[in-house]
Formats: sequence, structure tokens, C-alpha cells
Amino acid sequence: MLLRNVFTKTVRDLRWPTFWISLGMAGMTGYFAVLFPTYSKIFNISDMLKKMGDAGKLFGVTGDATTLAGFLHIELFSMILPALMVVLVAGMASGFTAGEESRGTIDILLSYPISRRRMVLEKVLAVTLAAFAAAIAVWVFGLLGAAASATALPADNLAAALLMLVLLGLAFGAVALAIAAATGNRAASIGAAVGLLVVMYLVDAVSNIVDGLRTVQPLSLFHYYMGGDPLRNGVSLADAGVLSAVAIVFLAVALIAFERRDLAA
Amino acid sequence: MTAAIETKELTKWYGHHARGIIDVDLVVEAGQIFGFLGPNGAGKSTTIRLLLDLIRPTSGSARVLGLDVRRDRLEIDRRTSYVPGELSLYSDLTGRQLLTYLGNLQGKVDADYREKLIERLELDPAKKIKSMSRGNKQKVGLVAAFMIRPDLLILDEPTAGLDPFVQLEFEHLCEEVRTDGRTVFISSHQLPEVEHLCDRVGIIREGRLLAVEAISTLKERALRKLEIDFGGPVKAEAFANLPGVRDLSINGQVLSCTVMGSVDALVKAASRFEVVNLRSMETSLEEIFLAYYGTGDDAAKEAGHAAA
Repeated sequence: MLLRNVFTKTVRDLRWPTFWISLGMAGMTGYFAVLFPTYSKIFNISDMLKKMGDAGKLFGVTGDATTLAGFLHIELFSMILPALMVVLVAGMASGFTAGEESRGTIDILLSYPISRRRMVLEKVLAVTLAAFAAAIAVWVFGLLGAAASATALPADNLAAALLMLVLLGLAFGAVALAIAAATGNRAASIGAAVGLLVVMYLVDAVSNIVDGLRTVQPLSLFHYYMGGDPLRNGVSLADAGVLSAVAIVFLAVALIAFERRDLAA
Repeated sequence: MTAAIETKELTKWYGHHARGIIDVDLVVEAGQIFGFLGPNGAGKSTTIRLLLDLIRPTSGSARVLGLDVRRDRLEIDRRTSYVPGELSLYSDLTGRQLLTYLGNLQGKVDADYREKLIERLELDPAKKIKSMSRGNKQKVGLVAAFMIRPDLLILDEPTAGLDPFVQLEFEHLCEEVRTDGRTVFISSHQLPEVEHLCDRVGIIREGRLLAVEAISTLKERALRKLEIDFGGPVKAEAFANLPGVRDLSINGQVLSCTVMGSVDALVKAASRFEVVNLRSMETSLEEIFLAYYGTGDDAAKEAGHAAA
């Protein structure tokens, strides 16, 4: 019964976008896992990467492409998966308060015995679930693909990378939520989250090439997302802690801002 | 007995050129149907949204059912229901799904009573909200508001878009609430829409509460424009100094004037001549404001400006 409360209603609202984005993310992962042996036979990937040199680093091409884990890191985890995850989470989070406000449904919703804080938290719980659902889909398709092509892919490290992916999405989602909650402007909140994503991505990528930028690299959330190479090394608790802290701080900002504000008519 | 609504110097200040409310002291006793009247933009919705804690006052305070609108928010929400003026509902749900959801948010809903309301307002609950007309959406909002049997209903322009039959049923529902000793608070910009329903009305204009009157008092003071067509020429002297008659003018065989309160004296004076036709036009709320609440030249100019 998906009309029980704000949490289940939000799950209901998010089910199709979550399904399609998860299918896209998982489909790509499965596809690369299945075709990896063929790719590595046709192209000498490591050679190609060496030729690309520093230019490759801008596109997240770092590390070792001779294993499936390394290949997935370069092809998916560096750019496409985080972009899709952030679009999924931030896009949804920006709609939680600003969307209900611009549609005018918030007046009705809050006239029921639900506090503003609880409304936001139940919706955040639902989007967290959506992010994990997408990650689990990627995990299952990745492992199935690897099994189909008889390629080694460590299940625990894939899970670790996906956890970092979820935390990255939640951190950006919390930023989008905070802006939406403080301003009621959905477009501004999505725009800011995506803009921040691009800037942080570039800061992290360029820092890998330009030594002078190393000092600003810790300002980019990407540094904590793949910096510890979770596909090879598993979860770095410190990195996971930083991403979680960012998510929690911005969630707190969102709750406080939303609680204090006059809601749009 | 605790008042259903009580505000003290309630003020929402949006700056000099924006619409807020200023020092509103409003008391709505429990067990009545209260009309909150004023032209569009007078501050009705602002007042209501303050009562619902959707916006916060610049100064002053408000209590609903004796509870603080901010501190006791959830308790108030449990015991009141609200239909906004610009009613927006989740458009991807059907009417029934929406009522289920809102019922679940409320807690317990008497399903039999809900079905009875759906029947009485002739709502088709299987339709999706997005394919409903404005009037049908309004019915969904009204069923949702009445079905929880709240101690206080706050209805912002509830009759807009309703057809006459549904409007009548809505009035019966309000009267049933009153019979139960519960309270209905209705905002409207049209006096005729609510005058036969309300016990008392509060009149708000330009953010200030001008008066709170029993509807019977307001009616006594209401102005009517009258025009009488006579069968032949009449003399102005015959109508001089009639009580309550003003702005009298005679143009050939047609007399026009404004009457406050009873038309008895005028009709008796007219009966001495052959009366062909008599037209009575109820004055608008706007004119009642202008005539009785001393809104003065500014308001008159503004009204003239708006008309021009």
C-alpha cells in the first residue's frame, strides 16, 4: 500500500525514474562486463591509455585497464555513473520541497499532522532507498556480466565502489535539497548541484595533471569518491566519512532553512 | 468556551507595496459559520496561511482551538482541515487514491462517512485528478476536509467552480458541522455567496480587519440601488426626506436612488403613483465597505481607477 505515508508515497513517485536510471546504469555495467574479454583482445587497452597520457586523465582515465575492475573504473565509475547517480538523487531531492511548493501541494500536505522536518526526512529516506536500489542493480548486473564472460570481478570491491557512488550521490543530493529548501527554487537547486558536480569533477581531474592544483584537490568531493580506488582497495572509511558528513551537514542545513521559512503560496 | 480562532495584533508585513495584514484582532467563536470577507488581495489568504503556520507573522500571535499555531502545530492539524483557495492536488492520483492518502496522513477516517460525502457531492472518485474540472477538484478537497470531522474547517473560497446543486449540498454540510457544535471558517470575496450561510462575518480590506458583524446587522445596513419606472411623470418633492433614501434622482418617468435598510418608506411613497416596474440591485460588498467603513477617498479613487 504505497499511499500509507509520505515515505511510501515518495517511493511510489520515484519508482519509475529510479527504475529507468537504474536499468541504464546496470545495463551499461553488464554490457561492459560481458564484452570486456573481447575488447581487451581487439584493442590493447593499456597501450591506448598510455598514448592518451595526461589527456586521458581529464576523462578519468587513471589506473590499470587490464582487469575488469580497472576497466569499469575508467569507463563507468569515473564519469558516467556518478553523473547519472547525481542526476537521480539531486533531481529527486530538489523536488521534495521546491516541487511541492511550486505545484502548490505543500499547503494541503502540511495541513495534515506532519511536521515540516518529518516531511523532508521521509522523502530523504525514500531517495536514499532509490540510490541503493540503483547501486544494487549495478552490482547484480556487473557480477552477472562478469560471470557470463568468465572474467574475475571482486564482488566486495564492486560493492565498495558502489557504496562510494551512493554516498557521492547523497552528498550532492543534500546540497540540492538545501538550496531547494532555502529558496523554494527547483531550477536553481538542480542547476547549482549539477554545476558543482562539473566544477568538482574538473578540479579533481585537472589536479591529477597539474601539480600546483594538488592543494585544492581535497575541496572536490570526487577526491573522496574514487581517490582511494575502492574497486581495488575496498572502502576507505575516511573517504566514506567525509562524503557522509557532507550529506548530513547539508541535510541539517535543509531542515533548518525549511523550518524557518515562509512557504510560497 | 475556547474560541475557535483568536488572533492578537496579527501582522504580516511584506513591505510598502505588497499585500500583507496589519494588526488583525479576530475572534471566531466555536460553533458558528464565520464568513471572512474582502476583495481579492485584501489579506484573506495571508491570514489563513498564518493560521496554518505556512507563513510566520512579523508580529502578533494567533491561537486555533486554544492552541498556539506554532508550538501546538500537530495537535491543531489533527483537529482542523483546510481547503486552499488555489487548490492543487497530486494530479497523478485518482480522487479515491488521493482521499486514501490524505486519510492515512490524518490517521483514522470513517470510511462510511467518506463514501456518503462522495455520494452527496456527486464526485466521481475513479477519475484522475489531472482530468478533473476545477469544480470536481474542489469536491475532492471538500470531501477530504469534511471526512475527518474536524473541530474547525478552514475553507478558502470553497465555492468557486461549484455548480448550484453542489453548492447547496456544501451549505447543508456546513450547517451539519455547526449543529455538531463545530466551526466553519469560510473566506469569500462575494457576500451573496455566503450571506445566507454565515452567522457572522469579518470584513478585511487592504490588510486591516474593518469590522466583525452578525450577518443580520450587516444586512440591515446593506445598501440597495433601486430604480422605479412610473406610468407618468412624478414630482421629486413626493420623495423628499424619506428615511434611508439617498442619492435620489428623477429622470422623466424613472426614479433612481440608494436605500439603506428598509425600503418601506420609499415603496409607500411610490404607491401614490402608477408603478410600471421596480428594479432592486443589491450593492456589492465593495460598496458596503465604501459606505460604512470609512475607507475614505483613497479607496473610492482606487475603486474608480479599477473600474476605469
